[in-house]
Amino acid sequence: MKIVRKALDISFKLVEKNKFLSKFKPVLTALDGALFGTDELNTVPHITDYLDIKRYMSFVIIALLPAVAAAVYFWGLRVILVILVSYIAGGVVEVAFAVARKKEIHEGFLVTGLIFPLLLPPSIPLWVVALGVMFGVFFGKEVFGGTGKNIFNPAIVGRIFLTICFPLIMTVGWPKPYIGGLGGFSKFGVDAITAATPLNAFRSENVLASFSDLLFGFSGGCIGEVFRLGIILGGIFLIITRIVNWRIPFSYLASVAIFSLIGNNLAPLKFAPPSFQLLTGGLLFGAMFMATDPVTSPFTKEGKWVGGILLGLLTVLIRALSGYVEGVMFSILLMNAFAPLIDHVVLAVKYKEPKKVTGKLKPTT
Amino acid sequence: MKKKQYTFKGGYRFRRIEGCPRDMLTTQDIPNEVLIPLKQGFGMGVVSLVKEGDIVVAGQIIGRDDSNVSSPVHASVSGVVKEIKLSNYLGHETQIVRISTRKDKADDCKKVKGFTSDWAKLKNEEIESILYLAGVTSLDKSGIPTKFKSSIITPKDVRSIIVPAIGFDVYNLSQELLLGEKRVLDYIEGLRILHAFMPQANIYLALSKTDMQINEKLSEAVSQYGFINIISLEPKYPQGYDEMLVATVLGEKFPFGYYAANLGVIVLNAQTILSVYEAVVKGKPLIERTIAICGPGFNDTPHLKVRIGTPIADILKSYLRTDVSSRIVLENTLVGDKLTDLSLPVTKATSKIIALPENNKREFFSFLRLGVKRDAYSNTFASSVFPFCDKTLDTNIHGELRPCISCNYCEEVCPVQIIPHLLGKYVKNNIIDDSLVRFKIFNCIGCGLCSYVCPSKIPLLELIKEGEKKLAMEGIERSSSILPHFKLKGLKEYKGITTKL
Repeated sequence: MKIVRKALDISFKLVEKNKFLSKFKPVLTALDGALFGTDELNTVPHITDYLDIKRYMSFVIIALLPAVAAAVYFWGLRVILVILVSYIAGGVVEVAFAVARKKEIHEGFLVTGLIFPLLLPPSIPLWVVALGVMFGVFFGKEVFGGTGKNIFNPAIVGRIFLTICFPLIMTVGWPKPYIGGLGGFSKFGVDAITAATPLNAFRSENVLASFSDLLFGFSGGCIGEVFRLGIILGGIFLIITRIVNWRIPFSYLASVAIFSLIGNNLAPLKFAPPSFQLLTGGLLFGAMFMATDPVTSPFTKEGKWVGGILLGLLTVLIRALSGYVEGVMFSILLMNAFAPLIDHVVLAVKYKEPKKVTGKLKPTT
Repeated sequence: MKKKQYTFKGGYRFRRIEGCPRDMLTTQDIPNEVLIPLKQGFGMGVVSLVKEGDIVVAGQIIGRDDSNVSSPVHASVSGVVKEIKLSNYLGHETQIVRISTRKDKADDCKKVKGFTSDWAKLKNEEIESILYLAGVTSLDKSGIPTKFKSSIITPKDVRSIIVPAIGFDVYNLSQELLLGEKRVLDYIEGLRILHAFMPQANIYLALSKTDMQINEKLSEAVSQYGFINIISLEPKYPQGYDEMLVATVLGEKFPFGYYAANLGVIVLNAQTILSVYEAVVKGKPLIERTIAICGPGFNDTPHLKVRIGTPIADILKSYLRTDVSSRIVLENTLVGDKLTDLSLPVTKATSKIIALPENNKREFFSFLRLGVKRDAYSNTFASSVFPFCDKTLDTNIHGELRPCISCNYCEEVCPVQIIPHLLGKYVKNNIIDDSLVRFKIFNCIGCGLCSYVCPSKIPLLELIKEGEKKLAMEGIERSSSILPHFKLKGLKEYKGITTKL
């Protein structure tokens, strides 16, 4: 610990002396803050809670670990490389902005950098990963003014950018996951055998995948979305620790169940049954980790319900009636866009001008 | 007797915090010198009746002003007046009388005229006069109304009296200790005395949902008196604020920024009721108080019986830890006054002295610690899994300032249903207009919970207070958004009175 402290002190001195290096001071400050915490004191109130943003973001990462571990098992060790590329490429953009703005580096990127690769197909080329995350961080977050001011979830912005620009890479050729034994832990790349994802299979042949296959991830899909048991556990962990507000995931999943039940009764060939809908695609991942992003979702309690229901409706409709088989990304993006409007309406209703007591009005002196 | 349970949305319960006052009462020695501010408790400053060199007896009235809203101030020890000086007490200018004690007459105490154990025969006026002369009437947020202008309203205006017999703060005076043994009967007598001269007022006895022992004792004892309603409340912060008590107990809207007394409601704590009893039945003027010493900055945390005017430094001397420097805070752990001058005395309004260690040490990998002893609103620390360790508090900010991520913790804990982070953003971006009023910025009771729970460490309370000030500068006053919705009493008298001190 003392050695680290000394090393940091020396590098601080170095950075202050050198004109070029001094631009990179935010990097050092971020490191210093992460390692040693703060020595600042409160004014009023005299005490504050121990939770800070670093711990807040760390908990999201902890909740993602089961999904990450499962991803390595299913898709091979290359997944780790994909995550690294995402962190490095996104980190470059983040640092560049911090340097240009002369502001501190924010922790929010740690989550974006991990969520983004989990949304990609397992056979994704590394340069596409780098491009996507850089686009997402740049246009999804930094141009709006950085953490806390962005309208859209940066990971989704990056992912949709890729979906639109590289439709072939993003939608064709889903490999089969490694199952049994050491699985992907002993292999590097993905399996050469490809198979349709459960959602594709339903769209083209109306085949419903088995429940356990979906739950444990024995079917094709994006890197991080297949091990649904781990995602459910991670989500529950976040809700119990209060990092994530339960309203959005609950209303999202419940409304998907309700709308798909209605749709399935009306047009069973277009709308899959609720249990299948809930356990396929990126729904659980999106509901637990992305729709709940506090910055981009509605902040009022009532708005969270409205947002969740809107998400459910959009997801079911896009999955059944649009050209895409999966609708989670687009519905979250749309919900992000509507969030300020939802909040505005909720606030307008909640904080109406109160009626005045007429007649009994006393002049104030 | 029916027990009703009430609570409010939001709030936060501090559980198992280190440094809670122990159930032990020690009497603090009479100090060599006392400092008696002529403005204490509720009311304005009074005029000194003594001059330098006068010999005074404990219990003698040394300051009184019948023309203003105030109550008499007593000498708390027998001795000689050394000095009368205008000084600053926590931001207020007030005359402070310095009395040096004569040890040989330490136990002397002048009694209040007219006291009797057979108080039922007293006329209302006589009871009021005893309470006024004993100085009891300036206790708590808005005093006890009497015909002597001790409060902003008259006894006839009082509709309800709320008497909370629980603590709602981080640290609380032990009600077991205050009301234990034979004091329950005294307490009931005190309530009956109040009822005698304010017969139209309903008395609401607020008990804790969790503190069963004292609950049973009290509810059994009051069951024969129909005018006392028992209500049980959740012991979460800031339930003890008058604003929240009126809202939860009576279910009424509160004119935020004004007193409960403006509504015709007075809130009186257990010690006040006991003082009422002691003044009327035993003739004891208000010259001593039970205060609690609390917080992790103390070696020992007993309750102390101290004479009013005892310099706080005298009390701290024997209890304060020497290995850490501590911040001394009065009354409220979150938003209480920070005491910088330790020579200031204990007053009628003091009930808690809190010492919080000033922790300005940096900690290696602070954000990854398990946190068995760390308190947090979220369940992100081991302390929410292991319920056996006491949690500690200090004044460190525990993190770095970050932009708001709208996590909504502040809205969830806000007891008055405003959205602190929204107001904070408006004020930070200097949008000072009617929308702040629409979002009820004036409802803020300043409990400080929003700042406490914020993971981004945004000083929300400060921002909201800043917003209120800026609104006032733009000519948008609290009164114009609050007053039209209420019929308030005693507004004229209210001007110029502060409860502090």
